[in-house]
Amino acid sequence: MSRLSEELIQIQEQGAAAVLATVINAGEKGGVEPGDKCLVRDGRITGGTIRHEGLLQAILQEAENRLREEKSKSVALELPDAGGKIEVFFEVMPAPPKIIVVGAGHIAVPLVKLAKVLDFRVIVMDDRMLFANRERFPQADEILVGDMAAALKGLPINSSTYIVLITRGHKYDELCLREIIHGPAKYIGMIGSRRRIKACFQRFKEEENIAEEVIQRVYAPIGLDFNTETPEEIALSILAEIVKVRRGGKAQSLSGK
Amino acid sequence: MAGPGACHEDAEIERRKTDSIYHQVKEFLDKGETLAVATIVSTRGSTPREVGAKMVVTAWGEILGTIGGGCGEADVKREAIEVIRTRKPRVVRVDLLDDISSDSPAVCGGIMNVFIDPWWKERDAEGAGK
Repeated sequence: MSRLSEELIQIQEQGAAAVLATVINAGEKGGVEPGDKCLVRDGRITGGTIRHEGLLQAILQEAENRLREEKSKSVALELPDAGGKIEVFFEVMPAPPKIIVVGAGHIAVPLVKLAKVLDFRVIVMDDRMLFANRERFPQADEILVGDMAAALKGLPINSSTYIVLITRGHKYDELCLREIIHGPAKYIGMIGSRRRIKACFQRFKEEENIAEEVIQRVYAPIGLDFNTETPEEIALSILAEIVKVRRGGKAQSLSGK
Repeated sequence: MAGPGACHEDAEIERRKTDSIYHQVKEFLDKGETLAVATIVSTRGSTPREVGAKMVVTAWGEILGTIGGGCGEADVKREAIEVIRTRKPRVVRVDLLDDISSDSPAVCGGIMNVFIDPWWKERDAEGAGK
């Protein structure tokens, strides 16, 4: 890559997440000047004109916060050896949100449709071609057929990725969950009864030594609670949960009723 | 595991290409022009656009994108042409409080700080990846 503008274009084309930090105010001394830049991608500095090591570290740290909040913001960084207070604008380029639907059964059909209405990029997968096909999912961006845990391993997953585990059997959900539980996905939801989920998490703790706080990240049983009955309603409840995780809020009636 | 969704993906990439302000920036830089990229970096009160909104200004005062229109934008454009001339970035404070009586759509009652940054080809290449 030879130019910053080319890198920024490439980031957008690949649907990657990145932060462009630009110095907008700096002291006279310290060798840092307004307009100096630093591009952060995948937790690494991949470009820019800033060379001051301390400032780069401070930017790297703050970039992570900005990306998590998906909000551009200017931040004052205190760096005595770089001339004192340096104001840096963090321009957040979030990756477009993506939902991976694991399991192409009867809930997946309305789930994919609704997710497209909400403007997510949608990948659906199953190991049965009879279920994972274009006829059932005309709107899906990608349809994958094959071993689901292996497929998950091969997919890029980042902080704008939402994963829904709704395979035909709990053992497949569990195999897939093992593959992604330590990853950076913003949301992992898994279907199943409380009893089965409890047993699954117990195995995770005992056999895999997975820490409680890692397990706590998983939304299981999946979805918001509004006594869903049909597959369409379950799909809506899953997506409502995903939107809540993405945007925040309490997911209660605004009227307070 | 290649899915049959490849064509959808291409269409999406095409869409993003036309969306990207940096595509347009690069095109101008390739022609040897110096541009000013104006970005809202902070706001107070009610402003027409949010933090992060961008506008690109060329040396001839052409504008791509918007930071909200109205008098504020005209001020920024004037400053941007100066930034292109001097190749020195600056922060401009746009006060939308003072002309409350005007008919401008930019009368929102807020204040915004706009960072105006000059871009030219050699500078762009300095920021290349490692």
